[in-house]
Amino acid sequence: MIGINRRLLVASAVLATSGLVISTVPAQAFSPRAEVGVTATSIKLGVTIPMTGAASPGYNKIPSAMKAYFDYVNANGGVNGRKITLVVKDDQYVPTLAVAKTNELILRDKVFALLGPLGTANIKAVAASVNPARRGIPVLFVNTGYSGFAIKKTYPTTFSLFPSYIMEAKVMAQYIKETFPDKKIGLLYQDDDFGVDALAGFKQAGLTFAVKVPYASGSQGVSGVPATWIQKLSTAGAEVVVLFGVTSATAAALGTAAVMKYGPKWILGSVGGDATTIKALGVPVGVLYGAIGASYLPAPTDTTDDYIKLFQEINAKYNNNAVFDNNVLVGMNGAFVAVQAIAAAGAKPTRKALIAAIEKKGSTFFGAGLAPLNYSATNHGGYNGYWFGTYSPTGEMKPNGGAYTVYTTDSGTGAVVKSTYKRPAMPANGLPIK
Amino acid sequence: MKKTRIISTLSTAALVSMMVIAIPTAAHAADPACDGKLTVNSCQGVTSDSAPYVMQVPGNFNGTLVLYSHGYRPNVNVPAGIPGYGGYTVSNTAQPGPIVGASDTSVISYLLSNGFAVAGSGFARQGWNVDSGVATNVELIGLFKKQFPATKHVVAWGNSLGGVITQALAETHPDLVDAVAPMCVADSINAELTAAGDFLWGVKTLFDPTIKGGNYSAGAAGYGEAMGDLVKFFTVIGKLQAGVSTGAWPDTSSATGKALAAAGVPSRSALLLLGLMAGLPTQSAHFDSISGPDGALKVTFPLAISPALAILENGANAGALAILVMHDLENQTGGAVFDNTKTDYSARVTDERVIFNAALSGNTVIDALLGALSPLNPGAPRAVGSSSAIAKMSSLLSYTGKIDVPTILMVGTADPITPAGATMRIANAYAEQYAEEMAKVVADYGKTHVFVPPMKKLLTIWSTTPAAYTTFTSAGAPITTTAAAPGTNHCNFTAAQYLVVAKELTTVGSTGSFIHGGTLAHLVRVAKNLSTDPFFSPALMKFYTD
Repeated sequence: MIGINRRLLVASAVLATSGLVISTVPAQAFSPRAEVGVTATSIKLGVTIPMTGAASPGYNKIPSAMKAYFDYVNANGGVNGRKITLVVKDDQYVPTLAVAKTNELILRDKVFALLGPLGTANIKAVAASVNPARRGIPVLFVNTGYSGFAIKKTYPTTFSLFPSYIMEAKVMAQYIKETFPDKKIGLLYQDDDFGVDALAGFKQAGLTFAVKVPYASGSQGVSGVPATWIQKLSTAGAEVVVLFGVTSATAAALGTAAVMKYGPKWILGSVGGDATTIKALGVPVGVLYGAIGASYLPAPTDTTDDYIKLFQEINAKYNNNAVFDNNVLVGMNGAFVAVQAIAAAGAKPTRKALIAAIEKKGSTFFGAGLAPLNYSATNHGGYNGYWFGTYSPTGEMKPNGGAYTVYTTDSGTGAVVKSTYKRPAMPANGLPIK
Repeated sequence: MKKTRIISTLSTAALVSMMVIAIPTAAHAADPACDGKLTVNSCQGVTSDSAPYVMQVPGNFNGTLVLYSHGYRPNVNVPAGIPGYGGYTVSNTAQPGPIVGASDTSVISYLLSNGFAVAGSGFARQGWNVDSGVATNVELIGLFKKQFPATKHVVAWGNSLGGVITQALAETHPDLVDAVAPMCVADSINAELTAAGDFLWGVKTLFDPTIKGGNYSAGAAGYGEAMGDLVKFFTVIGKLQAGVSTGAWPDTSSATGKALAAAGVPSRSALLLLGLMAGLPTQSAHFDSISGPDGALKVTFPLAISPALAILENGANAGALAILVMHDLENQTGGAVFDNTKTDYSARVTDERVIFNAALSGNTVIDALLGALSPLNPGAPRAVGSSSAIAKMSSLLSYTGKIDVPTILMVGTADPITPAGATMRIANAYAEQYAEEMAKVVADYGKTHVFVPPMKKLLTIWSTTPAAYTTFTSAGAPITTTAAAPGTNHCNFTAAQYLVVAKELTTVGSTGSFIHGGTLAHLVRVAKNLSTDPFFSPALMKFYTD
């Protein structure tokens, strides 16, 4: 931005933190004060997420899952004696509403940090209008894989948790090249930054497509539009189709393809294959049968996994025994990692200390994710790998080969490699902190 | 919605300031005519540059003069029948304070009843007139002090262009004013013309290539061209409004526009992109980009439709202003003043294309639109300005943002004419200035061992939009006949909001100290839809990000 230099930013920060409102600084201002959203007994977090509206099915289960895990932690003493509360605001997946609701969280509810806001467009809108970075407010573990949010220079207080969509595309490309070397490949993708990341990853990995069909976000709900996708893919003779979109697009595409008797091998991105969401959208989960999926978390139905086992117990006790699906798992896992971050911020947590703690100690945090976390002073990216599985007739994704084989990479030119990461076991008490 | 609805939303009240005081035309520069009434002594006259002025001094005059500068008034008559401005005749009638709505003078009444004198000029010429406006105000302050020697303090405030005049007065004559309050302050003429001109150019390029859009002929012919542009512009705005839901393009669209239409690009996405390129707010008088009607459009409307409708309302203001200001500036400078030959519109929307991706119909459509608007497309010819005219325009008096006297800024966060980014630029400049002042104090501490932090001289007040305000009929149609929402439209302040500024301005001007802390918070809360959030940082106008 022309006219805004580093000196000015520093000056702005000085003015902002000291208050532009002209006032005599009271003497007590120089004595230690508690951070916003933190008391001796509590820490308040906030999240904006679609709780109602067309985009809400599935995503609206994430906050209650986060709350359930926090309730569990609170019932076991909290974090450094503080109980965690989570204020939830419904943004309906509308960027301008996300801005308004985030302003409420910051100015009215006075939250300590934002946790798990969802949607690339919404988070970008908030970054531009509310400017958490200028305010020094941590934006923890955003629910999107857009690669840009891991870039500290651009989003200095934001931390990703998902592997980036670029990573996902790179790993997926390798899988496709190895598994379907002679097949005609098609791509159906969301025509925004989600898709831009995917295209970048596929290009980096050298995967070419016989046909690429972009769809504008939201158009999956427009009558007749999904049929045009299927027609294009079918006409091009795509035998394997990668679907890099949200679950509502998956439901529309697979449901329409079934009607139109088009049956390629579907490969679904990690955010586009939640069976309970597909069911909630009125599409039989059987459409998923035989499709390939990707995930960085264990299958939510895998009760042999110690994280899944404990999270299901917490879900039963603190979350009204909601259907335990990938959204519930994402919510609980985000909360599980957030608890470690808050604890690492120390006995008197501040926003600044929280950010510093994640940068310094975040690579030692752990959770249900089967790939390592990669936080550092220069990298705000979380997980970095995926495993592949195949959907059963009931919509469960089972790992190919019977065990989770995770492949990791980066958002740049790094190679895709088989992971050697050994995930720490779930602590017996379910608490990742002492 | 009918075409007339959108036109009714135009915020002409602030742009074309209403007249409140009738004055005799034969007044003498050095000899104001006063009626001598004990309750309020009203004086009228003209300055040496023939600017009419009015002074009103209450019987309990407390020694503080509050000098007002009105906003932009077109410097040409606008024939009846032209939407928005039809029937306007050029007027230099003096205005001593802000008018709320069409005729509410309660803010002036408040000042007078509390012992403050008010004064204001109508200025010697209308149109963009910062140079003459400042000169008039300097003379007017001298005339007032001469007439009323009990004057101890002078504070100045103004709206829009009047805000520019006020800030420029403070920068050039800090000795004459004790405090100032530029409200809904315009940015430099270059920045303003860039925003409004870019939108107008886009409308011409895609939707009606017969709009001349500047480079008007001299004299009467040019006047006719500009008025013709106003008619065409509002006509095409009406057609765009009619096509918002279906995505249909106006029948007047260019070949470039028709090609985009044939490719399936909805006109609403094209309209939205033009607004985003120009930096117009995506909230407007009646469209919050948040609310949707009950039913199937509950989310689709705010996501995909409302931002385009907001641009339609805001763009109607901006485009009309572009025509009038361009005609004015071309007359002042002798040539075309809008030039977008080097503008990279793609770079302008790097973030916006992500945030409004759904309303813009996805990256494929966005790229098609940007490609169509690129300099490489001969079907989208860029506007070529006159270098000498632009140089002359750039030499007109403006402001730097330097703050020497206590200053209060107030602006609507969704003002389409003087975007909040203009106010933010002043705040940013002051942040740097204050840092330098503080650094000097710190450096001097080593020698003097006395630490007195510099006074913070700036208070910025944001007039914010309500949490949600678009309303719908029972059939789900948006209602556009209600009053413009707070924070939207141009200088759309309530009397209560003006009074917050008035109280701050007169207090700091007479005592040297701002109202602050809980007292300020109470004032802000009572006035409603105001914020002093020090971290709020709207984007600068696109002129500064090119």
